[in-house]
Amino acid sequence: MKRGVARPPALRDPWWLALPLILVALAFAALFLLLPLVAVFGYAFEKGWDVFVTAIGDPDAREAIRLTVQVAAISVPANLVFGIAAAWLVTRFEFRGKGLLVSLIDLPFAVSPVIAGLVYVLLFGLHGWLGEWLAERDIHVIFALPGIVLATVFVTFPIVARELIPLMQAQGDEEEQAARTLGASGFTMFWRVTLPKIGWGLLYGVILCNARAMGEFGAVSVVSGHIRGLTNTMPLHVEILYNEYQSTAAFAVAALLALLALVTLVLKHAIGWRIARTTSDESSTEARP
Amino acid sequence: MSIEALDIEHRYGRTVALDKVSLGVRSGELLALLGPSGCGKTTLLRVIAGLEFPVAGRVRFEGRDVSRLGARERHVGFMFQHYALFRHLTVFENVAFGLRVRPFWRRPKRAVIAAKVNELLELVQLGGLAARYPAQLSGGQRQRVALARALAVQPEILLLDEPFGALDARVRGELRRWLRGLHDRIHVTSVFVTHDQEEAFELADRIAVMSAGRIEQLADPETLYTKPASPFVCRFLGEVNELPFALHAAFTRSRDERSTAFVRPHDLAFERLDADGALAISSVRDLGPGVRIEARHASLARPIVASYARERHAAEPLRVGDRVALAPRHWVMFGDEAGHS
Repeated sequence: MKRGVARPPALRDPWWLALPLILVALAFAALFLLLPLVAVFGYAFEKGWDVFVTAIGDPDAREAIRLTVQVAAISVPANLVFGIAAAWLVTRFEFRGKGLLVSLIDLPFAVSPVIAGLVYVLLFGLHGWLGEWLAERDIHVIFALPGIVLATVFVTFPIVARELIPLMQAQGDEEEQAARTLGASGFTMFWRVTLPKIGWGLLYGVILCNARAMGEFGAVSVVSGHIRGLTNTMPLHVEILYNEYQSTAAFAVAALLALLALVTLVLKHAIGWRIARTTSDESSTEARP
Repeated sequence: MSIEALDIEHRYGRTVALDKVSLGVRSGELLALLGPSGCGKTTLLRVIAGLEFPVAGRVRFEGRDVSRLGARERHVGFMFQHYALFRHLTVFENVAFGLRVRPFWRRPKRAVIAAKVNELLELVQLGGLAARYPAQLSGGQRQRVALARALAVQPEILLLDEPFGALDARVRGELRRWLRGLHDRIHVTSVFVTHDQEEAFELADRIAVMSAGRIEQLADPETLYTKPASPFVCRFLGEVNELPFALHAAFTRSRDERSTAFVRPHDLAFERLDADGALAISSVRDLGPGVRIEARHASLARPIVASYARERHAAEPLRVGDRVALAPRHWVMFGDEAGHS
């Protein structure tokens, strides 16, 4: 990272080009990013703090928050484990179909979340492929917690792996080999060498994954069935409240989600800065004899 | 501990990396694997370490077959080309790693580990840097940390992959002599890989010259230099003139028209002719320690080179355009297969 390094005069743009560009960028950011954020908090606190607290304290709202946290608590660790395993597989082994696997990992980013939800309904719904078999055993997937978790896992599937693969590719596996020659077992090697190496990247991925898991609307909307107080996550609850013209309550819950986004951004930035600093430490000292 | 590699064969996809290579390393010696890049020298080193498993062949340590053991079970010290230090651990923790990861019944006590690590850091002259991280060290310091880390587990075999490759020329020479001195003190059987013949000659007891997945010759430096087994070895060990029959018959008295004589520049002298001749001096350059003189022959694409000591050149100076004859002191003859240059 070359922060604060002045560009040579020949590469500096003239003010009449720079100024409009800066103004356009700022105007866009203000109009499309900042204004909505301000509006969310503005509406949420429009009728005062007490109304906000009442809206959040409503049993259905609390249930939605609880469910959202629960879904994230299951799907984030699942994708953490999967992400490490996939990144390990892709960066440490050569095998046929590796390119295909990498493309498959990206699939959830390419496909609309609604389709993801529909696929699960087709698979596990009452009239789906496995529906009858599941119904006979009284296992509820669709319109229940498992369906919501499945849809969330699908949508957030690539995030951790995407974060780790380039990082692990760049770092190589020589340190792991060194650990082997020094007598470390597979587990020790992973725990004491690989995990610390990828730590910050992993945390970065987990935070993004968590934000997406809590905020997911489309796929979850299809599989949840919108049963109030039972299968409503926070984003779904916001929609219901809004459709019922309870806009203050809707914005109160929305404000919570927006707050989560802000916290995520701050953490992401802090960790990104941390990663950039550690890698630049190494590259800047590489040249020394 | 002696090392034997027998008929090692290895491939990467379709490329043959090692073509039935056999190598014997004597206990306590320092052996160099020397060759151009891609000749298989690093692969052979990794096969000995158990980091790479060959398609065929056996590896024995002191007569014991270790072919099936992985790197973890072979107990060799391995130093990687780019050192592969643990970037998240301090110098002290890097060196202590091999002792800390032992199963608890074989793990030394904390104080014993600390004493051992400090002793090693003194040995590699890094006593004051124990608390630093690898990113805060210079290349030469990193190299010594890597060496201390490899030695911490008290291996009886030490394998070094291009140990000086990532260092600049000034530090390299110094560390080379230091490493040789260290080996003379601790006598651990060592094999190192290099593409630099000067490095191999300065450090090694014996040198295995490799080319295209084979060992061309394994010998001590003197034998290698004076009696190279093949044209490849001869060419790889430094500048050499390759003289076809027409040019060498006069002094070698050879009858084989397809043979080639290999003559090193410092073994060659030019004798000035008063008559006209086909060989004429084309360049005379003062290099400081000596003088480099080149002569051209119409039938050769490249000039014939001789290097003279200063005094000798002063005594009988040659000038561009002088007609000369060849007067070598030493040469090596190769038959048919050499005659392609």
